[in-house]
Amino acid sequence: MSDHALQVSGLVKTYGSHRAVDGVSFSVARGSVFGVLGPNGAGKSTTLRMVVGILAPDKGEVSILGGAVSRQSLRRVGYLPEERGLYRSMTPSGILVYWARLKGVAAPLARKRAIALLEEHGLGGYAHKRIKALSKGMAQKVQILGAMIHEPELIILDEPFSGLDPVNQQTVEALIRAQGRAGRTVLFSTHVMEHAERMCDHIVLFARGQAAFCGAMGEALASVPRAALLETEGGFDLAAALQPQGFAAVEEAPGDGVRRWRAGLDGKDASRRLLAACVSAGAPLTLFEPTKATLHEAFVRLVGDAASPADPRKSLGWRTPVDVGA
Amino acid sequence: MRSIFLIARREYLTYVGAWGFWISLITTPLIMVVFGAAPTLLRNAEPARLVSVIAADPLDAAAIKMGFAEEEKARLRGALRLAAQSAPDAGAKAASEAFDAASDSDSALAAALAVLAKTDPQLAKSFKAPPPAYVFVDPPARDAAGLAPYLKGERLIGEGKAGKPLFAAFLVERTGTEARIAYWSDNVTDTEARGLARDGLRERMRAQALIERGLAPSSLAQIEQIKPKLVQFRPGEQAEITNRDRAPFLVAIGLAFVLWMSIFSISNMLLTGVIEEKSNKILDTLLTSVAPTHILAGKLLGVAALSFTLFLIWGGVGGTFLFQAAAGSGGLLAGAAEALRDPWLLVIFAISFVLGYVMYGVIFLAIGSLCESLQESQALVSPLFLMLVAPMLLLVPALQNPDAPLVVGASWVPLFTPFVLMMRAASGLSLWEAAGPLALTALTALGVLLAAGKVFRAGATSQLSIADLRRFMPGAKKAAKA
Repeated sequence: MSDHALQVSGLVKTYGSHRAVDGVSFSVARGSVFGVLGPNGAGKSTTLRMVVGILAPDKGEVSILGGAVSRQSLRRVGYLPEERGLYRSMTPSGILVYWARLKGVAAPLARKRAIALLEEHGLGGYAHKRIKALSKGMAQKVQILGAMIHEPELIILDEPFSGLDPVNQQTVEALIRAQGRAGRTVLFSTHVMEHAERMCDHIVLFARGQAAFCGAMGEALASVPRAALLETEGGFDLAAALQPQGFAAVEEAPGDGVRRWRAGLDGKDASRRLLAACVSAGAPLTLFEPTKATLHEAFVRLVGDAASPADPRKSLGWRTPVDVGA
Repeated sequence: MRSIFLIARREYLTYVGAWGFWISLITTPLIMVVFGAAPTLLRNAEPARLVSVIAADPLDAAAIKMGFAEEEKARLRGALRLAAQSAPDAGAKAASEAFDAASDSDSALAAALAVLAKTDPQLAKSFKAPPPAYVFVDPPARDAAGLAPYLKGERLIGEGKAGKPLFAAFLVERTGTEARIAYWSDNVTDTEARGLARDGLRERMRAQALIERGLAPSSLAQIEQIKPKLVQFRPGEQAEITNRDRAPFLVAIGLAFVLWMSIFSISNMLLTGVIEEKSNKILDTLLTSVAPTHILAGKLLGVAALSFTLFLIWGGVGGTFLFQAAAGSGGLLAGAAEALRDPWLLVIFAISFVLGYVMYGVIFLAIGSLCESLQESQALVSPLFLMLVAPMLLLVPALQNPDAPLVVGASWVPLFTPFVLMMRAASGLSLWEAAGPLALTALTALGVLLAAGKVFRAGATSQLSIADLRRFMPGAKKAAKA
């Protein structure tokens, strides 16, 4: 059995003269929570639609759960499309049973699972009400449950958080985490960095139809230069004091009776060394806070470069992502 | 196969569970009844039109009134004939003869009802004569200028709520043997009244001319009564043609209309259903589980099952009523009941439905798969709807002459065959006349199924859209360049 739930290699999809997906490759390890990130129009949905066999790629290959994309292999995959909807006149339990049966689950088991899932996610009281009577958040939960009702090995969710309020976003997040804990592979696309940052082990960043970065979350965050925020009392010039000791500090917007600085951290123990330099320079520090890189910063850094016409792989130190997430 | 069944089942249950199904179940037969009875209902619902005649010679005025009286008698005869269609043929025929033998409307009706009462007393008792279409009133003025306010409705004939405008006035001018009718009316489109006035006066002028040429008035009256007795036969049959013999033709036309209504509404259902699934991406979810061709087949089967349910209910309820009504009577109803028991008509209906449904159904499904909204589909659907309406224009010609070259020719056009062949089904088609067009349609349906299946597959997977098709349409390139 392959270690990878999904392997995508050199996918290309062109619409007329527009190349929507341009040689995308990435792999998703079994049991991981994997994020597909990128701005709108970057090629995320097109890639995912090729992955689940809705679109045929012009070039490239997709391997799902160790085999080619087929009706049989897709039975072990759950998929939630972007811009989704449900049959408004059906009931949540009816829809879940319908999806499950189309995926090959026997009717009695499908009914049992549907009721159990709805109960588990606070929708038991709505099981037999029509979809049109549900709120948007509830309907979206039903849709996500529809991608999980047949207990697939790989769950692919295209923008599962879009259109949800913060409370429902948390619910969906919990749902995804639960699937991850259950040992299932979850791949979801999003343009909200915080979700991916909180949940993903590995990510692929899309820009202009290309995978600009693919790797572990830590690796992406490490691409952002580290820094520390400092505050000094009075008119103390921290930049001048640190320069002889090899640290560059830049003053940021002034505070109330204090001066604020951002100093770059480079190399091993840079944080400790910077603090020692400040102390030896007699800096009247009121704040010393090493900052944590965010995925948003990593994205802007990595994809900002990739969005330029130059080959993004050269500037980003691209490596073939065969073992990513393994 | 399992996925096809699941999709078909969902489609079927969704439509059956919707209000629209039950509404169309009830309204479709009602619409058919209303369409059939609309001309009579509209006519009877319209209040009597007030007309006046001004003539120097009172006999000219009387002649014009006679023209209208003849028309009222003909209308009464039609209403009586329609009501007597459930009566046994012999009774209806005798009543008709008694009606024709009487001179005026009142005595004709009394004579006919007396005869009808012997064979169908209930019918004779319940028959209601239609209200008169025209009522003559004394002219409110003697010239056109004086009549104008009455004709325009500015002044009314009668008092209060009972007051009505004058519909028309006839001013007869005589110069020797010449006559001129000045017809005044605010209604410039209706030609019936002026035609009746002209016919009435023409009868008098002809009679005058014959008398002036030496014919005795008594002889003239006798001559006017002369008319041949007409008996209709059909080649190869000895018995006279009756309403019972005409029934199969009417049943075939009725079935053609049911067929057309069903395919028209079902195609619409398929179109809107697939557009809904395409626009909200349900189709995407389906496509990860089911092949596009299975989705297509499932939808076709589900909605076909819905149609069979409709036919079963309509056939069951309508058939029970018809057979009940036909059991105690003869004439048209008995003939219709007999025709519905004829396997030939039902086989043609079933084959025509299957072929028409597959052909139009897959086309509409394919169009739906290309569109994200109903508005977007209109460019392709509108010409198709026009094509669907075209065979209905042949309903009346096919009833009058099912073997007319135009009707026969249309029965060989595969897109029209299901409907036109059904219209012709009672006309004694040879096996070749039925099997030929059906075979051609079957081949066409197969071709359409294959082609539309490909389009559906491409449309469902968003590889093809209506925008792509527009590029191939004539003038599209030129428009794009401009």
